[in-house]
Amino acid sequence: MPKAAGKRIRRTFRKKLSNNSDMAEMKSMFREVLPKQGQLSVEDITTMVLCKPKLLPLKSLTLEKLEKMQQAAQDTIRQQEMAEKEQPQISH
Amino acid sequence: MGSEMEPLLLAWSYFRRRKFQLCADLCTQMLEKSPYDQAAWILKARALTEMVYVDEIDIDQEGIAEMILDENAIAQVPRPGTSLKLPGTNQTGGPSPAVRPITQAGRPITGFLRPSTQSGRPGTMEQAIRTPRTAYTARPITSSSGRFVRLGTASMLTSPDGPFINLSRLNLTKYAQKPKLAKALFEYIFHHENDVKTALDLAALSTEHSQYKDWWWKVQIGKCYYRLGMYREAEKQFKSALKQQEMVDTFLYLAKVYISLDQPVTALNLFKQGLDKFPGEVALLCGIARIYEEMNNISSATEYYKEVLKQDNTHVEAIACIGSNHFYSDQPEVALRFYRRLLQMGVYNCQLFNNLGLCCFYAQQYDMTLTSFERALSLAENEEEVADVWYNLGHVAVGIGDTNLAHQCFRLALVNNNNHAEAYNNLAVLEMRKGHVEQARALLQTASSLAPHMYEPHFNFATVSDKMGDLQRSYIAAQKSEAAFPDHVDTQHLIKQLKQHFAML
Repeated sequence: MPKAAGKRIRRTFRKKLSNNSDMAEMKSMFREVLPKQGQLSVEDITTMVLCKPKLLPLKSLTLEKLEKMQQAAQDTIRQQEMAEKEQPQISH
Repeated sequence: MGSEMEPLLLAWSYFRRRKFQLCADLCTQMLEKSPYDQAAWILKARALTEMVYVDEIDIDQEGIAEMILDENAIAQVPRPGTSLKLPGTNQTGGPSPAVRPITQAGRPITGFLRPSTQSGRPGTMEQAIRTPRTAYTARPITSSSGRFVRLGTASMLTSPDGPFINLSRLNLTKYAQKPKLAKALFEYIFHHENDVKTALDLAALSTEHSQYKDWWWKVQIGKCYYRLGMYREAEKQFKSALKQQEMVDTFLYLAKVYISLDQPVTALNLFKQGLDKFPGEVALLCGIARIYEEMNNISSATEYYKEVLKQDNTHVEAIACIGSNHFYSDQPEVALRFYRRLLQMGVYNCQLFNNLGLCCFYAQQYDMTLTSFERALSLAENEEEVADVWYNLGHVAVGIGDTNLAHQCFRLALVNNNNHAEAYNNLAVLEMRKGHVEQARALLQTASSLAPHMYEPHFNFATVSDKMGDLQRSYIAAQKSEAAFPDHVDTQHLIKQLKQHFAML
């Protein structure tokens, strides 16, 4: 039973080798061998799948600006909070 | 020299050179001397606005509440190809997830990130709450608690004497009668203070004062309605503005309304009408391409992006999208040319070098691969970006057969971003090759819980469980994998096999 591509397919066939007198002829002229008889066996191995490589999307200018502004805003808030925390410590 | 200049002129000069902080400071000094100086007042308002100005067309941040409780969509069960909510329904030209990774919302990853590409519409509450990996903050509960309000409050925190203009004390009727002042004031209220209701009041009074003849005010009212979620009212205003004066911006705003109403086909028609009036307009062409991309119709999207490039050959979004499309349709060498073009244009960041590295590797230009990745690592701005670069480097290592290096790369990706589901999955595959079944299973479980939208961890878990003889778990995982990627041949095969097993019992 043939399967989808990507599976390991092994063909085994039995054919009697011809005798020595034919060897010279074989060497001079290579002929492809397409067995018409014999067994075809398929070894079906389900392989595990890797996640695919990921191209990173470029960011639009708007998005960059938004992120920059948000970062700046968070920094200022953090600074102000730090300043507020330090003040009572001084008064103690 | 500077101190001898007339202060208002100097402030103007600062404003034109986009040194808004300096301009605002100087205006503050002037206003302290003469509090009724209208020129200084308006200039300060404009400087403060420009500091936080973001193009309204690009903004689209939906909160969880808006998305889950969305009642605006006209058809709750839309026909295939007429909705943005069911990306899977349109299979014409859409890439398979076996080749191109998908986002949480089930769309193929895009080549370009805009504020609205982050939103996507998740199907369940659970998915909505999960932080999207590309946006660094969690999704807000409603858009009125979103990024803009936080920015607004932050800008007020920085000025120690309270806000520049006390909105509650403004006599809006008085300002509405001075059109020039009113326009600057409106932009200040809308962009800097994010007080949409007051802005709407001002706009309504002003448009009344102009006897409904000024299209600009109609567009502004429409913007306010849009922010308040009153899409039908916004649509009326934009249409009325378009009747008076056809502007590209108005077309874009109106299309945004239709997209919010989940009517992509109407939006497409509108864009095409706009193109009749403004032939070859890049913003309109790009709008069409974006809609096609969101509807998973990648081939049409690429056609329109190419049209964009014919008009404007430095359009970063178009180049990036076409490039990523080529990469995932097995033409990395063509993609490489597009990304190289971006580099020539002066884009210089982590993402671009990462993409260049990947394209180089798959186009067999090995000399540039590692240097590109090195540069990407050095340009990365945060840990998520570093993690993504290490993850891609892991692929290069797998490609050259160096499993130890690959193992280390995926580990480093996880060190930098502990929620990197793809890295967990690939690490599991490597562990499995070493024969560490239990570790692989644990990693796969983590991956599938982090990213239930990906089929890979489910399928791998099913395969591993099947090998170990745990058929029940294997079957459950295989079904999840089938739900994520219905056309996956191996999954179907596995399910068939398992069903045969169960039938024999």
